[in-house]
Amino acid sequence: MFLSSVVLILQEILEAALLVSLLLAFSRINNLRLYWMGGALCLGFAGALLLSLNMVAVSEWFDYVGQEVVNASLQLSITLLLTLLTLLYTLGSPATLRWLPLCMVLSVACALTREGSEVFIYIQGALSQPPHVRPTLTGAGIGAGIGISAGVLLYYGLLGLPRHWVVPSCLLLMAMIAGNMAAQAAMLLIQADWLPYSLVIWDSSGWLPENSITGHLLYALIGYEATPSLLQALAYGAGILSVALAWHVGRIRRTTAS
Amino acid sequence: MINIIKPLRKTLHCLLVGLSVLWATISTAGTPVIEIRIKDHLFFPDTVPVPVDTKVKLLVINEDSTPEEFESYELNREKVIPGHHKAIIFIGPLPAGEYPFFGEFYPKTAQGKVVVTP
Repeated sequence: MFLSSVVLILQEILEAALLVSLLLAFSRINNLRLYWMGGALCLGFAGALLLSLNMVAVSEWFDYVGQEVVNASLQLSITLLLTLLTLLYTLGSPATLRWLPLCMVLSVACALTREGSEVFIYIQGALSQPPHVRPTLTGAGIGAGIGISAGVLLYYGLLGLPRHWVVPSCLLLMAMIAGNMAAQAAMLLIQADWLPYSLVIWDSSGWLPENSITGHLLYALIGYEATPSLLQALAYGAGILSVALAWHVGRIRRTTAS
Repeated sequence: MINIIKPLRKTLHCLLVGLSVLWATISTAGTPVIEIRIKDHLFFPDTVPVPVDTKVKLLVINEDSTPEEFESYELNREKVIPGHHKAIIFIGPLPAGEYPFFGEFYPKTAQGKVVVTP
């Protein structure tokens, strides 16, 4: 129970921790106040609790694929919010920049709702079995600790880069997370039979399995899949492209305006 | 306030369930259903035969009181199944081969595989 708890919580925490660290580093380098994080944590916690408490009802929606639809919606929202964040940032006027914290609050809240709800369901299940309580909670603590440490590493890693590289690196990672979220949403909608099945385009499970430590880390950071389908890859590309396009449009508008 | 929220929630739930039934009738008619049960953190059956190149609907019934998460890296599938509840997961059409799956909440015991044969 202990080890599986470490792995499960680490997996769930890692993705959200990396997004949080990235946005914190982005805020710091742009001299934005970090108060938005408090709102994001509260909203995310409330969302995760609400989703986990209503999981039975949600699971029944859309002929028992409500879970996929809700989670895919949360992930697509993150893709859209990161795209909007890039556009508002690149436009660079005071009128657009003041909306950045709201975009960050909502994207982190969506990530925490998605990941946190599974953590709550898992812990709630374990708490109902007295022999599992201690190993589960210890494992969860260690898993969360490792996940948060990875986030802290990314935060200081980004801020340790030469100053003119920090924002481009943040935007690049944002594009990858946007792609990752779109690809995961596509996978869930294929699982729900809302999107058609498509062929697996490669199989790298032999040399980099998804259940290895590197596999988990790359999955959380850049959406690594050992056996992605064509639709997942297309969704990944579309997510990256939407952030790139937002950056491009923002720059053109900004140049024209000045 | 609570008086308003409760009927609203009920109406939304009924509406979504109604829509879902309609959706299910249109979209998945004719898809074979394969039943898997979870009991004492084990899958029954633990080897699930599936015909090659056929889309199937896995009906996973969790008979335990605790939740479980059906997960498979090979099938690219993951889904939480609350205790004493059921879930539907679509897989395939798949080429011949073995596709392991496991219960992420109890991975030591909850192990199984989908075997796709011609």
